[in-house]
Amino acid sequence: MRWLFGVLIAIAALAVSGSAALAANPPRLVSMNVCTDQLVLRLADPEQILGLSRFSRDGWQSHAGDISRYPVLSGGAEDVLLIRPDLVVASAFDKRSTRELLKAKGLRLAELAVPRTLDEARQQIREAGDIIGHPDRAAVEIARLDAALARARRAVAERHYRVLPLSRRGWVAGSDSFVGSLLSEIGLRSAAGDLGFNFGGFASLEAIVNLRPDFIVVSQAGDYAGDDGQAFLLHPALERFYPPEKRIVIPERMTECGGVMLADALDALTAELKRVGR
Amino acid sequence: MTNEDAARRRIGATAALAALVALLVLISLGIGPVRLSPLAVAEALFGGGSDVAQVIVREIRLPRTLLALAIGAILGLSGASLQGLLRNPLASPDLFGAPQSAAFGAVLIIALGLADVRSYALPVAAIIAAFGSVFVLLSIAGRNAGLLILILSGLAISSFAGAATALVMNLATNPFLVLEITFWLLGSLEDRSFQHVMLAFPFIIAGAIMLFSQRHAFRALSLGEETAQSLGVDVGRLRLFVISGVALGVGGAVAVTGTIGFIGLVAPHLMRPLIGHDPGRLLVPSALTGSALLLAADIAVRIIPSTSDIKVGVLTSIIGVPFFLYLIMRERRALGGGVA
Repeated sequence: MRWLFGVLIAIAALAVSGSAALAANPPRLVSMNVCTDQLVLRLADPEQILGLSRFSRDGWQSHAGDISRYPVLSGGAEDVLLIRPDLVVASAFDKRSTRELLKAKGLRLAELAVPRTLDEARQQIREAGDIIGHPDRAAVEIARLDAALARARRAVAERHYRVLPLSRRGWVAGSDSFVGSLLSEIGLRSAAGDLGFNFGGFASLEAIVNLRPDFIVVSQAGDYAGDDGQAFLLHPALERFYPPEKRIVIPERMTECGGVMLADALDALTAELKRVGR
Repeated sequence: MTNEDAARRRIGATAALAALVALLVLISLGIGPVRLSPLAVAEALFGGGSDVAQVIVREIRLPRTLLALAIGAILGLSGASLQGLLRNPLASPDLFGAPQSAAFGAVLIIALGLADVRSYALPVAAIIAAFGSVFVLLSIAGRNAGLLILILSGLAISSFAGAATALVMNLATNPFLVLEITFWLLGSLEDRSFQHVMLAFPFIIAGAIMLFSQRHAFRALSLGEETAQSLGVDVGRLRLFVISGVALGVGGAVAVTGTIGFIGLVAPHLMRPLIGHDPGRLLVPSALTGSALLLAADIAVRIIPSTSDIKVGVLTSIIGVPFFLYLIMRERRALGGGVA
C-alpha cells in the first residue's frame, strides 16, 4: 500500500505545481560556498534550502531578499551529516577533505567550478538548474544574462574605451581572465595586455600611471581604506589621473562568482558607462 | 692617536656618510618600474616635463625616498641609543621586540577595521604597543641587565607579539584581511604617498629629538652608572626618555611600512670601528648609516630581478640575521661567562 501512497503524493505534487518538468520532488539541499549560495538562492525553492555557507551572512554579500530564515553551516562536515540533505552543492574550491568525507558517507555532491568564460557561466547556470530541479528558472536567468549583455554592448556602442581592471594591491586581471573576456565581449579593450599580463599580475603605480588607460575598473567607490590593499587604489598619484569620474565601479560580490550575479554585474557596468560617458 | 686625529677622522667619516646618503637619495629617485632618464627625473622633480613623469617622481618616488631616509635614520639612532643606555652592543629595537609589538598594535587597528589605514590611529596604536614592549623589557631586565637576560626577555616579548598578531589573523573573518596583514608584516616602502610621510614624520622627528638630546647623558653613562649620577645624570629619567624616543620613532615607522628589522642593530656596529666607542658621538653617524642601509636595501629590491617584488623588510632581515649571529659569536665569551 505504501507505494500507492507514494504515487498519490507524487501526483498531488504534480497537480499543485502544474509543471510536467517536476517529475520528482526537488532535492532538499545545502550550499557550502558563497558562490553556490548565490545560485541556490536564485534557483531553488526556499523549502529546498536546508543551509547556506558560513559566509552567506557577511555584509558584503547582500543577497536579494531576506536570508536570515536559512540556517548557516559551520563549513565542516559534521552538521551536513546531521542534516542529511539530498544534495550538497559545493564549489571545487572548498576544502577537499570535507568534500571527500561527505562523499564517503554517501551524500550526493554537486561540485561546481568557477566559470572562466561567458559560455561556461551559462553552462553552469543550466547545470545548476537541472541539479536543483528548476531548469525553467535557469532558462530565465540565462535570458536575463543575455539581455544584460545586449544592454552593455549598446552602452559601449562605438566608444571602444581602453580600460584597466584594477583590484586591491594593484592586481590586474589579465586579458585572458574572466574579467578580461567579459570586457572584450562587450567591446571594451583591456589594457592588461599592454602590461604583459595574460592571466593577471600585480602592476606598480608607476606602470599604471604611465600606461594611462581611459578608465580603471574597480570594485569599490569612496575614500575609505580599510587596509593597505585598498590604500593602493586611493594613492594620490592614482586619484589625480583617476578621480571618481574616471573609475568604473562594479561591486566585487557581483563578479567574483561569475554565476547568476553576472547579469547584475553587466547592468552595473552599463550604468557606470552611462555615468562616466557624459 | 691624538684627540685631534680622532676628531678629524670622525668628521671625515660623517661627511662621507652624508655624501653617500645624498647619492643614494638621487639613485632612489632615479629608478623604478618606469624608466626615466636622469634629466627627466631632475626636470620632473622641479615641476617640469610631462605630467606623468611629474607624478611618478614627485608623488610616488619622492615620498618613498623620504620615508626610507627618515625611517633608516630613526632605526639607526634607536639602536645606537639603546646600546648607549644599556652599555651593551647587542641592544637594538628588533631584539627587544619593539617593531613586532608595534606591528601588533597596528595590525589590531587594521583587523578591527576601526579606522582608515591612513589615519593617525595606526601610528598611535603602534607607538603605544612599542612603548609597552620596551618598558616591560627594561623592567624585567632591571638596571644592570646582563646580555643573556636582555636577549631572552627580548625573545620572549617578540614571540609574544608575534603570537598576538597570529591570533588577530586567526580570528579575522575577512579572507582578504589575512593576506593584507601578511603582506604588511613583510615590511615595504612601495607605493607610499605623502599621506604616509605626514603620518610618520611627526613621530619620527619627535623621537629623534628626544634621543639626540640625551647624547651627553650616554657619554656620562659609559663611564659607569655611579659616575654618571655624580655628573648629574638622572638615570631613571634617561631610561624613560630613551624608551619614549624609541617607541615614538619605531612606532611611527612601523605604522607606515610594516616591520623593517635589523637596521638598528647593524648601523651602530658599522660605525664603531670608525667613530670609536663614545656613545654620544655615535648617534649621528649611526642615523646616517641607517638611512644609507635602508635606502640601499630599498634600491636593491627595485633592481633585483624577480617575478614578484621582494619586500624590503625581508631583505634587511635576510642580511641582518647572519650579522646578528656574527655578533653573538664575537660576544661569545661574554655570553658564555654569564657576567657581562
